Amino acid sequence: MPSSWFRQPSILPGFGLTLGFTTFFLSALVLLPLAALVFKTTALTWSEFVSTVLDARALASYRLSFGAALAAASVNAVFGFVVAWSLVRYEFPGRRFVDALIDLPFALPTAVSGIALAAVFSPTGWLGVRLQEAFGVQVAYTWLGVVVALTLIGLPFVVRSVQPALVEAQRDLEEAAETLGAGPFYVFRRIILPAVMPALVTGFTMAFARGVGEYGSVVFISGNLPLKTEITPLLIVIKLEQFEYGGAAALGFVMLLVSFLMLFSINLTQAWSRRRQTGTGGTQRRQERRARPRPAPGTQ
Amino acid sequence: MRGRDPRQGLNEMAGAAPRYQERKHVAPAARASRAALIFVAIAFLGLLLLAPLGAVLAQAFAEGWRVYLESFDNPDTLAAIELTLLTAAIVVPANTLFGIAAAWAIAKFEFRGKSLLITLIDLPFAISPVIAGLIFVMLFGAHGWWGQWLQDHDIQVIFAVPGIVLATAFVTFPYVARELIPLMQQQGSEEEEAAITLGAGPWMMFARVTLPKIRWGLLYGVILCNARAMGEFGAVSVVSGHIRGLTTTMPLQVEILYNEYLFVAAFAVASVLALLAIVTLVIKTFVEWRADRRTG
Amino acid sequence: MSIVLDQVTKRYQGLPVVNDVSLNVRQGEFLVLLGPSGSGKSTLLRAIAGLTDIDHGRISLHGKDVTHLNARQREVGFVFQHYALFRHMSIGDNIEFALRVRRVKASERRARRRELLKLVALEDMDDRLPAQLSGGQQQRVAVARALAHRPEVLLMDEPFGALDAKIREGLRRTIREIQRELQITTILVTHDQEEAFALADRIGVMNQGRLLECGRPDDLYTRPATRFVSTFLGAANLLLGYRTSRGVRFDRRGTDTPREVVAVLRPEEVELAVDESQVRSNFVGHGEVEEVLFSGAVERLRVRMASDGPVPVAPGREAISSRGSLLEVSRTLPEQRAFPVARGLRVAVGARRIHVLPTPISSFTAVAPTQAQAEQLSDAPLLAALGARMQTRVARQVGEVERAPPGMPVIATGPGSARAALWQLQHGASQLLCVAPAAPVPQKVVIHTLDAASRRATLAVAASLLRHVAAEAVYLVIHPGAAPESERAAHMRELLDARSSALSEHGLDMRTELRPGEVMEELQRELGAEAHAMLVLGTSRPESISWEWLGSILESPTPRTVLIVNSSRTETAVEAA
Repeated sequence: MPSSWFRQPSILPGFGLTLGFTTFFLSALVLLPLAALVFKTTALTWSEFVSTVLDARALASYRLSFGAALAAASVNAVFGFVVAWSLVRYEFPGRRFVDALIDLPFALPTAVSGIALAAVFSPTGWLGVRLQEAFGVQVAYTWLGVVVALTLIGLPFVVRSVQPALVEAQRDLEEAAETLGAGPFYVFRRIILPAVMPALVTGFTMAFARGVGEYGSVVFISGNLPLKTEITPLLIVIKLEQFEYGGAAALGFVMLLVSFLMLFSINLTQAWSRRRQTGTGGTQRRQERRARPRPAPGTQ
Repeated sequence: MRGRDPRQGLNEMAGAAPRYQERKHVAPAARASRAALIFVAIAFLGLLLLAPLGAVLAQAFAEGWRVYLESFDNPDTLAAIELTLLTAAIVVPANTLFGIAAAWAIAKFEFRGKSLLITLIDLPFAISPVIAGLIFVMLFGAHGWWGQWLQDHDIQVIFAVPGIVLATAFVTFPYVARELIPLMQQQGSEEEEAAITLGAGPWMMFARVTLPKIRWGLLYGVILCNARAMGEFGAVSVVSGHIRGLTTTMPLQVEILYNEYLFVAAFAVASVLALLAIVTLVIKTFVEWRADRRTG
Repeated sequence: MSIVLDQVTKRYQGLPVVNDVSLNVRQGEFLVLLGPSGSGKSTLLRAIAGLTDIDHGRISLHGKDVTHLNARQREVGFVFQHYALFRHMSIGDNIEFALRVRRVKASERRARRRELLKLVALEDMDDRLPAQLSGGQQQRVAVARALAHRPEVLLMDEPFGALDAKIREGLRRTIREIQRELQITTILVTHDQEEAFALADRIGVMNQGRLLECGRPDDLYTRPATRFVSTFLGAANLLLGYRTSRGVRFDRRGTDTPREVVAVLRPEEVELAVDESQVRSNFVGHGEVEEVLFSGAVERLRVRMASDGPVPVAPGREAISSRGSLLEVSRTLPEQRAFPVARGLRVAVGARRIHVLPTPISSFTAVAPTQAQAEQLSDAPLLAALGARMQTRVARQVGEVERAPPGMPVIATGPGSARAALWQLQHGASQLLCVAPAAPVPQKVVIHTLDAASRRATLAVAASLLRHVAAEAVYLVIHPGAAPESERAAHMRELLDARSSALSEHGLDMRTELRPGEVMEELQRELGAEAHAMLVLGTSRPESISWEWLGSILESPTPRTVLIVNSSRTETAVEAA
């Protein structure tokens, strides 16, 4: 097993086999089809591309998709934080049940969430009726419905990001601040928030990214009116159904670019939070490891 | 009284003392704010999560047990269930195999381009399900990259079962790998090295040492992968063509029934999927509890 | 021999983490590899087990070359620091694993399992899971598991590192008993000297990838050969002494040509008395008790010596050393009763036993025309590193003097340096370091002697240097193109002699190469092959070196660091205490 520029030697078997299989499977299932989309998009002329992508209907759909995703992610940032806080810091009956429930949007098929939300918030639905009567607000079949659906979808991202950060945040720091005379809001603003901020930003970005691309849970509650309550993924589906492959590809390409940007910024915020979390401590261990040929396992 | 957090198992394993302790004397103001926060959290979750879940059941059983059961007596619905199971039966093992291979390569070895590989594996998470379907249409569809060739050889991918399988495989691609990579990185390789110094061959080492070490994480990843595979809507909807009894999976069947105002039937099928989700959550909770206990 | 290591080298990202280690371990011997963290001891152990591949050298176990065999085929028992027990298997299954792998019959496995559980005194733990055992018990299981397939070699990587002191001691005894009972050749890696003393038949001390010294624990303690070992094993006062006809003295007065040596004075060998006449051992000087710490059986003191007293080897700021050196002293209860002391008391200090390190390098003196240049020179990376690692002093000397300073003078390379170098060599310097102030610590050391008479002294200095610089060494014999064939054989013999004497006398292992060609050309070529290479040059006749010749290395646009050993002024015999 000679050392090479490509990898550090190890006595464990199976590197070639597993890496080969991984890259093959990844290329065949993910990279090749993505290349096909890029390929189809490049078949369009520039003016065709621009007219499709900047079409009034497309622009309206961006506004809704991004606006609603942003609104939903913001709602989640606030309420998701409260949920995570309650779960980590307080003991109350049914806490484990609530904790398990957080992952429901991950496990529940989006179509099911979609029709369920439609049933709850439709003008004849259980909550829809009450909201209509009390505030004169209609949720289903308006942009508000889109926000509600995306809030549901994004919730676990925020809670599951913030939870471990809150666990990690040192309680004794807060207590130290209190003994130094800081009030609860000051402690929250200066001690707690900075500690969980990277995690909160990561969760927010992930919820936002997921919201922009969400389809299943939205289409049932949004009403799908062109220029009003039509999200971008739906517009792509409509174009496909009308056999406008070029148009679908162009819009898909734009969304793909957005996804890449999101992924990039999520990675950035995660790297940021890792840097912030790995401060002092563990130097001894790191040095001992450095002496070994295999360095410490990398990042997650 | 001690707070219980989801990562506690890990903390205990690291020999860490409990991170925080509820103080015995809680000031009245703190108690009030605490109650208020818990109330807000539960109300939010109740409205957002429990209400829809309840709605599914309420609607499904709106006309009683009999009608609920009768709604499954529909050949299209049964075909949809069958197709969903078939898809999961293909996709889940394939992605499990991939996940194990990828996690082994990434967690046990240091090589160049590793972080790029991890990012690429995560890619399907970041991509809209509709795009996931679209890319396969662009590759295999009539006007796709390889469409002409496939037509000449009379191979149907899009609007057929292979397309559904591929799109599902794409969206569920990272689940197992994502679960296993951090787990295997955290576990390190000492036990594998011990097995080798004791004379074990590669398969023996993997089957008797690695696999038992990762089994709970693996199970967790497989369950999540399965839940998503059975419940995927967007990607499958784009490639399926909605041919009744042939290319509709359960979530698509829900959509068809719903759009035809057959609410009880739609919610009945949805309730099965919701049950799947609940079972997934129960198993997940069990796995976490198991992992906590074993390492604690 | 049970384990034979021959020039084992392992590089990590280009730097050697294990550097030319050669070692023989006898059948049934218990060897402890001792060193600070990062010294390469664990890597060496893993290399023996086949868990890490090596870049150079050979490893044989019981006469069989296993260098290219993988860990599975080496049949060694390995005990990991964090036990590496299979968490999901019962204790019994863990122990049986190696037998199961070898398809041993179930009845035989059961018998062996029982035998091993009895050996480590865990008879009733058969069905438990590792997590249900304490750390000490887990480590005993790990030992039993490593012994199951009756390996001929047992390797243990810091096996007690994760345990607390009390358990450690008991487990130490258990392991020693098991090792004696089975007569299994064992290597244990640790950073704890107490553990090494308690377990070892022989201790090998490692630092910076090199095996510095290897010997019986008491030998290493009483007669260390290096500064590192003398201070790493137990406490030691390292003092600069002067060898005279009447033994080692600590003041230079009355000695005309002082030969500087490094003396080790253990705290327990220091005698305190009321005045000089009461000192029964060698009188060292007067001092004042500065600190008294009672710690049970022994009393620990620090005595500030008078400013004209002995000079410590350890680096200290000038301001402090002008106040006189601090001496660590420890006294037993009877000694305390015989002569009670308190802070501030003036005492006479004697040394019952002094050990002189056989190291040929005692101290450095940066020689330069101005103070600023001298300071810049003493901050040169190589010199700073040597000073810190050898725990020795870098003094400064500015301006015109009549003769070379004691120890090793250091001058800067560059214009005029060749002449300065020759002046130093002709005015009493037995060693001379010419260093470029900005050059980094070399990664390769080329050793060459201009005549056979200087070989021993050169190798001794080179060995001393290489113990403290993590560089690769190559010994170059250059065979002039014009020389007759008969000389070739002589050169070949020189090469072999050099290597064997380097290894046997100095524990230095190095590559050797025979080159045809012209001396200066070959040296330049060898030095040019590596960006940061230095030359160790030996001569017994410095007057025969011309300054033009030396200048082509020292005064070139890219000057090389050169250490010149002048054997006409060195008595190389290893000096006993």
